[in-house]
Amino acid sequence: MAVNHTDPSARPLRLSPAARTGARLVRSFAERETKALYKRNLLGWLWSLLKPLTTVAVYSLVFGVIYRATAPPTANGQAEVFALYLFSGLVVWNVFSTIVNGSMRWMDGVSELRKKIYFPTETALVGGAAATLLQSSLEALVLVLIMAVLVNVSWTVVFLPVAMLLAALFALGLGFAAAIVNARYRDIQHLTTIVLSVGFFMVPIVYTPDIVPDRAYGLPVARIVELNPLNSVIAVARDAVYFLETPDVADLATAAAWAIGTFAVGLAFFRRRSMAISEEP
Amino acid sequence: MNEPARAPVQAVEVSDVSKRFRLELNRPTSVKEAVLSFGRRDVRHLWALRDVSLTIEKGSFFGLVGHNGSGKSTLLRLMAGIHRPTSGRITARGRVSALLELGSGFHPELTGRENVFLNGAMLGLSRRQMASAMNDIIEFSGVGDQIDAPVKIYSSGMYMRLGFSVAVNVEPEILLVDEVIAVGDEEFQQRCLQHMERLRSGGTTIVLVSHDTALVRDLCDHVGWLDGGHLRSVGDPDEVVDAYLVHATEPT
Repeated sequence: MAVNHTDPSARPLRLSPAARTGARLVRSFAERETKALYKRNLLGWLWSLLKPLTTVAVYSLVFGVIYRATAPPTANGQAEVFALYLFSGLVVWNVFSTIVNGSMRWMDGVSELRKKIYFPTETALVGGAAATLLQSSLEALVLVLIMAVLVNVSWTVVFLPVAMLLAALFALGLGFAAAIVNARYRDIQHLTTIVLSVGFFMVPIVYTPDIVPDRAYGLPVARIVELNPLNSVIAVARDAVYFLETPDVADLATAAAWAIGTFAVGLAFFRRRSMAISEEP
Repeated sequence: MNEPARAPVQAVEVSDVSKRFRLELNRPTSVKEAVLSFGRRDVRHLWALRDVSLTIEKGSFFGLVGHNGSGKSTLLRLMAGIHRPTSGRITARGRVSALLELGSGFHPELTGRENVFLNGAMLGLSRRQMASAMNDIIEFSGVGDQIDAPVKIYSSGMYMRLGFSVAVNVEPEILLVDEVIAVGDEEFQQRCLQHMERLRSGGTTIVLVSHDTALVRDLCDHVGWLDGGHLRSVGDPDEVVDAYLVHATEPT
């Protein structure tokens, strides 16, 4: 009849059946998210670039032109383009903020479904994150192409996807928690927007870390910026595409520890709590 | 490969299962409300099932009867893994395909075809397996070209037919059906019943929740009667259904 149902144990097995089911679901949700973004027009992919490019243009105008902020020179020393310094940090930030915000939406998107059929709900969030990474890779590609035009590329560019992946894991960890809490308290999504907009300026994206004063208004500002977990991820990305240096091992280790730790804790929390949410009337 | 070929006789085992739902009236839905209503919470617990034990033999057709709110649907959801029991154990051996309520398990924004793949993934089937079942699913459901339209525009009949079509065409080892057949027209109902018979003769275990006692008598090998979360009796369909009907018509 309909399905050719073979015994899973008879097949050459690389993944456990549960892991394979999980992987298929992640793929389905990622496809759904990607289609939702680009279904409406052929130029969808270009439209998706418009937002980050506009952000780069606006911030470059305000900080680079009006405030005359200067960026450190690139590896080949010829381009001191504030916009590119900004862009290299922004790529990572966009991965982070899109996933944190999206997590709550992806959770809502499947919560009715989950009441009718069992599936590991976290796959919806992981799928959304995968779609975000795919979309952001286009931004990253544009950045690298611009750098190539300026003859500022090196093998270190392989660390850019690493930084993006770490940002995604870190964001997913927070997103798991936010999705659970938002399922109960609906204003968490608004709160998240506010926290994220503050967070954006707590990371050296529109400024260089060295101009941050040690203390201001009695607060250890430099220390706060330095301790921000995203700081090291952005440093890795900048080393990769802007300074063309092998990222600092300490930065990489810090970023990886934060990313993996947050992801693991967030996932554990999500798994503990998501069953209860599907039982709510 | 040296293992003796012994198929587990019990497809579903329910032992001492209780399920408690937490109901919170006027539950705060935002941080703001939670802060404002601090300390004033009205939490109630509802026992949907109490110490239910039963076994369902592999390949049998099991019926569940009882009044509304007696816990039938909760039991089915526990079997489907949608909820976890508060206490006790529930084991379902084999692939469980559940058809609970109208249009169970569809994502409204996705097309019918995408939903079929998504459902397949949830049931542990590969895209290839689902692709090979696709024609049967579309044909059985009768949704035709609408398969590529988002399911949110489907009529309730189409929704239900596609849901049923997926549930039965994935060769489930255990099929859970919750009162859904009643939605379709006469012709579709007949096809559903025929299909369930076919699955059962192929070794599928079927659990049916229904208020249609004539149907239950007709189809089921064993029937369980749930009353207020307790299993009142389980066994021969005629005996259990008779007892249930006597109870149902009795003034309480």
